[in-house]
Amino acid sequence: MHRLPTLLSGIFLVFLTSWLGLVAYPVLGLGRLSPVADADTGGTLPPVYGGQAVAGQRIYATEGCVSCHSQQVRQTSITQTDIERGWGVRPSVARDYLRDSTAFLGSRRLGQDLSNVGVRLPDAAWHYKHLYHPSSVCEGSLMPSYSHLFLLRKIQGARSDEALNLTGADAPKQGYEVVPTAEAKNLVAYLLSLRHDYPLPEAPVKKAGAGPAK
Amino acid sequence: MSENIFPHHHAEEDRGTAETRAVDASVRLPVLVLFGNAVHWLVVASLISFILSVKLIAPGFLGGVSFLTYGRLAPMARDLFLYGWASQAALAAGIWLMARLSGRPLGGILHSTLLVSATVLWNVAILLGTLAIFAGYSTGVEWLEYPNWASAMLLLSFLLIGIWAVLQFDRRANERAEVAQWFLVAAFCWFPWVYGTANLLLTWKPVQASAQGPIQSWYCGSLLALWLLPVAIAALYALMPRLVGSHLNRRNLATLGFWMLLLLGGWNGMERLIGGPVPAWMTSAGVVAGVLFLIPVVIIAINLLGMSAHKSADKNSDVEEGVVIRFLRTGIYALISIGILGALCALPEISGALRFTAVTEAKTQLWILGAISFPLFAVLYESFPALLGRDCWCASLSARHYWLTFSGLWLLVGLMLFGGLFTGLALNDPTVSFLNITSYSYPFHVLECGAQLMLLAAAVILGLNLSRALAWDYLFPKKK
Amino acid sequence: MNHDQHNHKQECGGGESSGNSGAPLSPWLVGAFIVAIFWGGFYLAFNSGGFRQDVYESNAVSWTGGGTQAAAPVDPKVVGKRLYSQNCVVCHQANGQGVAGQFPPLAGSEWVNGGDKQGENHLVLLMLHGHQGPMQVMGANYNNAMPQWKQLSDDQIASILTYIRSEWGNKASAVDPAFVASLRKEHASQSEAWTQAQLLAIPPAKGTQAPAK
Repeated sequence: MHRLPTLLSGIFLVFLTSWLGLVAYPVLGLGRLSPVADADTGGTLPPVYGGQAVAGQRIYATEGCVSCHSQQVRQTSITQTDIERGWGVRPSVARDYLRDSTAFLGSRRLGQDLSNVGVRLPDAAWHYKHLYHPSSVCEGSLMPSYSHLFLLRKIQGARSDEALNLTGADAPKQGYEVVPTAEAKNLVAYLLSLRHDYPLPEAPVKKAGAGPAK
Repeated sequence: MSENIFPHHHAEEDRGTAETRAVDASVRLPVLVLFGNAVHWLVVASLISFILSVKLIAPGFLGGVSFLTYGRLAPMARDLFLYGWASQAALAAGIWLMARLSGRPLGGILHSTLLVSATVLWNVAILLGTLAIFAGYSTGVEWLEYPNWASAMLLLSFLLIGIWAVLQFDRRANERAEVAQWFLVAAFCWFPWVYGTANLLLTWKPVQASAQGPIQSWYCGSLLALWLLPVAIAALYALMPRLVGSHLNRRNLATLGFWMLLLLGGWNGMERLIGGPVPAWMTSAGVVAGVLFLIPVVIIAINLLGMSAHKSADKNSDVEEGVVIRFLRTGIYALISIGILGALCALPEISGALRFTAVTEAKTQLWILGAISFPLFAVLYESFPALLGRDCWCASLSARHYWLTFSGLWLLVGLMLFGGLFTGLALNDPTVSFLNITSYSYPFHVLECGAQLMLLAAAVILGLNLSRALAWDYLFPKKK
Repeated sequence: MNHDQHNHKQECGGGESSGNSGAPLSPWLVGAFIVAIFWGGFYLAFNSGGFRQDVYESNAVSWTGGGTQAAAPVDPKVVGKRLYSQNCVVCHQANGQGVAGQFPPLAGSEWVNGGDKQGENHLVLLMLHGHQGPMQVMGANYNNAMPQWKQLSDDQIASILTYIRSEWGNKASAVDPAFVASLRKEHASQSEAWTQAQLLAIPPAKGTQAPAK
C-alpha cells in the first residue's frame, strides 16, 4: 500500500471488475444485438425510423427532454406500475433501443414515460398543440411551452394546412397563423415513432393493448 | 518526518515550518485559481437551480425563450455542479492535500505554470460547454451533455493536472503513505478512465444504443463514488485528525473501507437502472451493490467519527476553525445518509415504487451537495489562510455560509424525500391520473424553491467571502 | 492543545496511528456485515436469470440457467392490431367505422360478427380473395372493390380477423388459423374477387375455436 506500483495495480484490478461487467460486457453483448425479422410484415423489429424521426432525435437531445421524461418500461419483477399506467404492454429490453442514436433512458419522471407515446397519442395535431402550449391540452401540466419550435407568420394567400388550430389566448392575431418549424415536425415524427407494442423474442407481449393513460 | 503539516493558523507564529510554507507557496496559484473558479461556478449553478425550482411551480416563468427552457437549464445546472464546482474544487483540494501530505514542494515554476494553464483550459471548456447547451448543442446524454470538443478539453486538462498529483505521491517525503493519499491516488487515476471511457462510448463514437444504458449508469455511479467521493473522504481523513487533535486509529479498518469502496463504487451505479432495459443479472447486481455500499460507508464513517470522539474540549477554538470542523462533521453525516438512503432505494420493492420520483433527485443532491461538497468546503476554508498567509475569512460570513448550506441542504433533501414518497405511492395506484399526482407535488415544489433560495444565498455569501479574501490579498500583499 | 498535538504527531508520524489500537468494531456490526454479504451473494445467485443476456425478468429462469422460460404464446390480437393498422385502416379506418357510402364499417357488421346469412367462412373468403360489386352491410348499400389478401399467411389472416371481431364493441369468437388454411385449400381455384351473390350461395359455416379471450 505504500509503493505507487502496488497501489496502482490494486486500484487497476478492482476497478477492472465493474469496467468489465458494466462497460465491456454491454458493448460486446448488448451492443451486438441485431434486429429480428418481423414475420407479420416482412420487415424488422424494431422498425427502422423514418428520416424525420431520425432528425427528431437530435431535437429531443438538444431540448433536454430526457431531463423530465424517461423512456423505459420497467421489469414486472420490480414493479407493475409502468404497465398498469399504460406506458407500455411489456417491459423494455435492450433491443428496443437498437435504432436510437442515444438511449434516452432518463432518470426522472416529472412528465410521463414516452417509450410508447406514439401508441398512446397517435395524433400529430395534438402533439403540435401540446408542444406549443402544454397546459392548453393538459390542465396543470408542468411542461414548459416549446413555442420557439413554431413560427408565427402572416397568412400569405390561403391559410396553411399545417397551421395550428389555436383557440383562446393562444390564437394568433387576425391574418396570422402559427405553423410548426422543421424542428417541430421532426420532433413530432420521432415521438409518433416511439412505439414498442410488438413482442420481441426476449420480451413477449402477455396482455392485449393496454388502455390509454390519463 | 513528523512535523505538523496542518498547523493551526490562528496564531501568526504557528504557521508551520519553513517546509510547509514552501509547499504552500509552490501550489498557491493553481489552488487559488481552481477554488476561485469553482466557487463562481457554484454561484451560477445555484442560481440556475433556483430558476429551475421556480419553473416547477410556474412553468410559464421565463417562458417562450428557447435557451431558458427547463430542458436546457437542468443539464446546465447539473453539469456546472459536477464539473464547474465539485470536480474543480476536488482538483484544488487534491493538489493542496497531496502536496501537503507528500511534504515536498511542487517542482519549479514550470509545474505551476502547467497547472495554471490546465486550469484555464478546464474553465474555458466549462464555459464553452455550458454556452453550447444553452444554444442547443447538448449531446442529450445525461451528465455528459457537453459537446465532444468541450469534453475532450476537460479530459486533456485533467490529465495535465492528474498526472502531476499521482507523481507527487511517488516523490513524497514520508515513507509511509497516509490513508488520505490512497484515496487521492485512486481518485486521480479514475477520473480519466471513467470520463474517457464514457465519452468515447457514449458521445465521441457512440456504441449501439442497446448497450448504452449500463454504461450511462456506470458513469454516473463512478463519477460520484470513484472520483468525487474519494477526494472528499481523503479530505476527511487528512483534516479530521489534525483539527480535533486526535489521530487515526485502526488503520486496517481504513484499508478495508478503501478497498470495499473501490470495488462497490463502480457497481453501485447500476442501482440507477434497477428494472430497466438490462438483463436480469444486471438489475440484481445493482440491488446488491447498492445495499452493500452501506458497508464501506459505515466502516469509513466509524473510522472517522472514532477520531472526533477522542477530541477533548477545544477551549481556544475560534469561529474559523469551528467552521472547518463543522463542515467536516456534517460531511460525515451526509456520507452515512447516502449509504443508508442508497441501500434503501436499492431494495427492489422500494426502487420499484420510488425510482424516477423526487427521491432519486434527493439522493443525487445529498451526494453532490452533501457528502462531496461539505468536505470540499472544509478544505477551502482550511487552505486559504495557509495559502494567503493570513486570517482571510470574515468569520460571520463563514458562519452564515455554513448554516445556510446546512439548513438549505437538509431542507431540500427532506422535502424531496417526502414529496417523492407521496408521488411514488400515488403512482402505484393506476386510478390516480398523472396530472393529479403532479398537483400533489405542488406544495413540495413551492417549499423546495425556498430551500434552493437558501442554497443560492449560501453560495453568494461564500463567493463574497472568497472575493473579499482575494481582494484583500491583492490590495495588501503580504511581504514574502 | 497545539502542544499536545505536536507530541502526538511525534509519536505517530503525520497524524496517523501506526497500530490498530482503538475500540474494536462492535461484533453486532461485524455480524451484520457478514449477513449482508451472504445475502448479497444469494440474492444475486437466485435473481441472476442464469446470467443470460436474453433474460430480463429475474424470476423467469432458475439460477442454474435452466430454461423455465417457455416462450409465451403471442397474443393474436396484438399481432392483428398491428397488421390491421398497416393494411386495413386506409379504407376501414382505425375506429372500424369505414367511410359512409364508400367503405363499409367493421364495427357491428354482420359480415364480421356473423349474421343470419353470413358465417365465419364468408368472412375468411372475403378476406382471402377480396370482393367486388354491390354489397349490403348493416342495411346500407356499398359498391366498391376490396383487394385480395391471400398473400398473407393463415396466421396473419386469423390474427387480423380475431382482432376485428373483438374490437370496437365486437365480441365474436377468435378465428382459427387451421380454419383459414382449410378454406384456402377448398377454394384454391378462386382467382377473382367474390360478388355478394356468389358468397351467399355458399352455406354459412363456423370455425372451430373457443371464444376470443
